[in-house]
Formats: sequence, C-alpha cells, structure tokens
Amino acid sequence: MTLDRPTLLLADDDPTIADSLAPFLERAGFHVLVVSDGASALEKAHAHHPELIILDVLMPRMDGREVLRRLRRSNVWTPTILLTQVGEASERALALEEGADDYLNKPFDPHELLARIRAVLRRARPGERSLTAAWLLTAKDLSLDRRARRATLAGRTLDMTPKALAVLEYLMTHPDEAVTRERLLEVVWGWEYPAGTRTVDTRMAELRRALNDDPAEPRFIETIPGEGYRFIAQVHGEG
Amino acid sequence: MFKNRWKTLLVWSLLPFSVGLLFFIVVQVFFPKPSPILTSVDFGVAAFVLGATLRVPSVFAFLFGFVATLISVGIYYWDRRRVWEAQSLYADYVQDTAQKRRHFLRRLDHEIKNPLTGMRAALVNLKEEKTEEERQRAVGNADRAVQRLTRLLTDLRKLSDLDDRAIERLPVDVPELLDDVVTAARTIPAYEGRNITLLIPKIPSPFPMITGDRDLLVLAVYNLVENALKFTSAEDSIEVRALEDGRSILIEVADSGVGIPSEDISRIFDELYRGSNARGTEGSGLGLALVHRIAVLHGGGAGVRSSQTNPRGTVFTVRLPRR
Repeated sequence: MTLDRPTLLLADDDPTIADSLAPFLERAGFHVLVVSDGASALEKAHAHHPELIILDVLMPRMDGREVLRRLRRSNVWTPTILLTQVGEASERALALEEGADDYLNKPFDPHELLARIRAVLRRARPGERSLTAAWLLTAKDLSLDRRARRATLAGRTLDMTPKALAVLEYLMTHPDEAVTRERLLEVVWGWEYPAGTRTVDTRMAELRRALNDDPAEPRFIETIPGEGYRFIAQVHGEG
Repeated sequence: MFKNRWKTLLVWSLLPFSVGLLFFIVVQVFFPKPSPILTSVDFGVAAFVLGATLRVPSVFAFLFGFVATLISVGIYYWDRRRVWEAQSLYADYVQDTAQKRRHFLRRLDHEIKNPLTGMRAALVNLKEEKTEEERQRAVGNADRAVQRLTRLLTDLRKLSDLDDRAIERLPVDVPELLDDVVTAARTIPAYEGRNITLLIPKIPSPFPMITGDRDLLVLAVYNLVENALKFTSAEDSIEVRALEDGRSILIEVADSGVGIPSEDISRIFDELYRGSNARGTEGSGLGLALVHRIAVLHGGGAGVRSSQTNPRGTVFTVRLPRR
C-alpha cells in the first residue's frame, strides 16, 4: 500500500510535534514512520530503509547526532535532515560536519520542512554519499577544504571572511538548488531579520569578488531574480 | 642616673623590637600568605620572647611586644582592606545580578503569558465556532500569537549567541552601512512613506572607518530605526546620522515622536523592559538590549536622551571607537 509513496522516518521525542507533523507529511504524499528516541530511530533506519530520515537532535537514549554518526559509520547514506533544538552557532557547524544533508532550526514552519524534504530527495542519489558528507569539494578550478576552512581558486588561496566561506560551503553542498537569502541567513547566520537579505547580498558581493565571478556571466554563482542564488558549476566531493 | 636608666631600658627594649620586626619581615617573605593569626601575632610574640630571653625587664618587653602587635594587626587590616572592598563590590554585583534575573524572569513570564492566552482562546474558538468565517478568524489569531512567540525566541537566541561567539573584527564603512539600513527600513510595508533622512558629514572625507562585525552593527542600527518607526506617527520625522569626534564614531537615530518618560530612561536598555508607553506595542522587548550589547562588544556604548515637552523627541546614540 505504500509502494509508490516515499517512506520517511521521523524521530522526535515530543509527541505534540510528531503527532502533528506525521499527518501533515502523510497529506503531502509520504509514508511516515514515527519513533520517539534515538535507539529506535537507528533500529528502524536499518530495518525499513526509509528514503529520508528526519532527526531531532536532543532525544532520549541516544541523541540525533549520534544516530547520524552511527548510520554513516555503517555506510548508510540515507539523506538526513537534522532538527536542531536551539540555533546555536556551534550546533549549526556540527550539523554540517556530521554529514546531515540539511537542517532546520526549531521552531519551523512545516511547509519549510516539506520544501527541505523535497529538495534533499531531489538531490539524493540512492546509496551514494552526498556532498554534505564530503570534506573536500571541487568545482572547476575552485576547491573548498571544509576541515581547514580554506578555499582555493586555480591553486591560489582565497582571502575571505568566515561568513563568506560558510555561504560558499552551503551553496557548494547544495548545487543546482535555488537557495533563498532567508535560507542562507538561517543556516549561516542562524537568525533571520528584516534587514538580513541585504546582509546576504553584501557577503555575496564579497564572495564573488574573491571568486572573480561576474554576476552577468557567472561561472559559479547565479542570481535568480526575486528568489536567491544558485551554485551552477558541477561539484565533486572527496574524502 | 634617671636619664641613664631610661636610656638603658630604651635600648634593651628597642633591641627585641627590631629583632621582632626582622622576624616579621622574614615570615612575610617566606610565607607570602600567612594565616591572619600568624601575621598579626608573630611580630609581638617574637618581640616578647626575645625580650624575655635577653632578660629585658619584662614589663617593657611586654609593652613593646604589645605595641608591636598593634602595629602588625594594623598592617594586616590595612592589607586586607582592599580584599574586603573587592568582596563587598562582588556581593553587590551578585545581588544586582540576582535582582536583574528575577526581573527578567518576571518579564519573560509576562511576554509568554499573553500570546499563550491568545492561542488558548483561539483553540477554544476553533473547536466551538460553527461558521467558517469565525474559525478563520481564530486561525488568524493563533497565527499572530505564534509569530509573537517566535519573535521573542529569535531575539533571545540572538542575545545568547552574542555571549557565545567571537565577533568579527573587520573594517566597516559606516555611511554605507547606514545607507543599507535606511534603505531596508524604508521598504518595510507597515511603514511605507515614512520620512527617514540619512545625514553623513562631507568633511572629513572619506568618513573614518571602524573595526567590527558589520552584520551585528547592521542589526543594532536597524533595531534603533525600527524602534523609532514604532514610536512615531506618519507626521513625525526620523534622522539617522553619523558623527565623529576624533576618537569615536557616533551613530545617532533621532525621532520627533512623543519621547520617553524620564522614569523609563534608566532601564530602557534592560532585557525585556517595556516603558509605560510601550506596553501595547509590537516587539520582543529585547531590541534595545541587543543594541546595547552589540555596542559594548565593540568597545563602545549606547545611550539615549529624550524629552516629552517642547522641543520633544528622542535621540539614541551608539558610540564606537575609531579604527
């Protein structure tokens, strides 16, 4: 009965969240498995092979991060979205490091979760490691060493601020995806505020200067008028 | 004879006194943190013991030992005075912090209570109302309550984030930053057509740069402009201006609104504090606290002057050190 409906595994220990999200996602055309702790999440992930996993970070009997680490260690590359409890800067950086495909700060609009799920599923190549789990990303003559926090263009190290680098990192791990300014604010800055979209544009200008990328004829980052930005070069991940 | 006897006594008593003093110094050098009793007594006891050993008439040895003890106790208390002062300052600080925390929790309780009450009422209506129109109204009200809580949470997170993370220290072009903020503020739908003027001095040119975190500074100035918009009407005007006095850069956001009551001025930058004329206004109550925090993180400060009578208006100032 669930043959053509993608299966989602939703792990959240708060019943009011799980109970409301599950029917919402079912209505959106998914089959939803709900668990309320980390250990059961790990178990269900191995037993049912869901198409996508949504993990809360703070859960009893194993937190979401540990679940993700164990899955990745046993070579399970099921796309995963982490739901973070608080938008702490360190937590955001960690989520990227541990191979989550995307993440969402609580509290979020369920429609935003749905948009994230669809974007991640669209990008996913079943069984393959995703770019978000790669330490070294390359696109044309640009390479980004995520561990060393260093970007090089044609072998030359680029001089840019940590924020600009974080923007580049998010765009490169989500290539060919229209990324809104609001989304960048949320993942890189951790907050959204009304003047924020101009803040993003300022960093984008810095990033383009560093990449020597002409917005009129972009090699890397394209502006989508009224929407946001898109990384258009083909990205390869290693390590 | 009488004179001579006094001389003998003086010499015999001064001797243990000076040896006692020597002993005291030795103790101070080799035991830099002696116990309070040792410090105050060693001087006198040493004088007394030495006096007895050298067979000085005991009453004089005792007298000088006593004086020596008094002196050493004096030295001890004089030395401890700074520690006590620091302790008392710290106690004041702890008490002040505890009080601020109590105020903060009480205000937080208030800020959460209202949207939550609204949401409960909306849920009851959603369950009981029969007409679709009434139900839609309930949904709208619940939505607004959720937005208020979200806004509160976002600002709380910003405040706690500021304590955790290192701020960027890069050159920032103030006129360009202010231009960005003013442009963004002019496009807020709720405040369309409001009169916001940007004033940047032409001399010296270019305007001196500052070092800091551009994003945080944008947030601070934006909060001030938004605050000014909130407390003024369409007939009022708002000025955003930059000044410099050689040492600091001053960013001012001035408005011709009703002004702030003097009893609110001193607490206006406190977290979740709401002035008497700000009770019904939208906002988290954390905007100005954020402004103050960001200014302090940049090595500067934030201030306000306001008048409710003619000429009325309010000027918020952020002072930042020059590069």
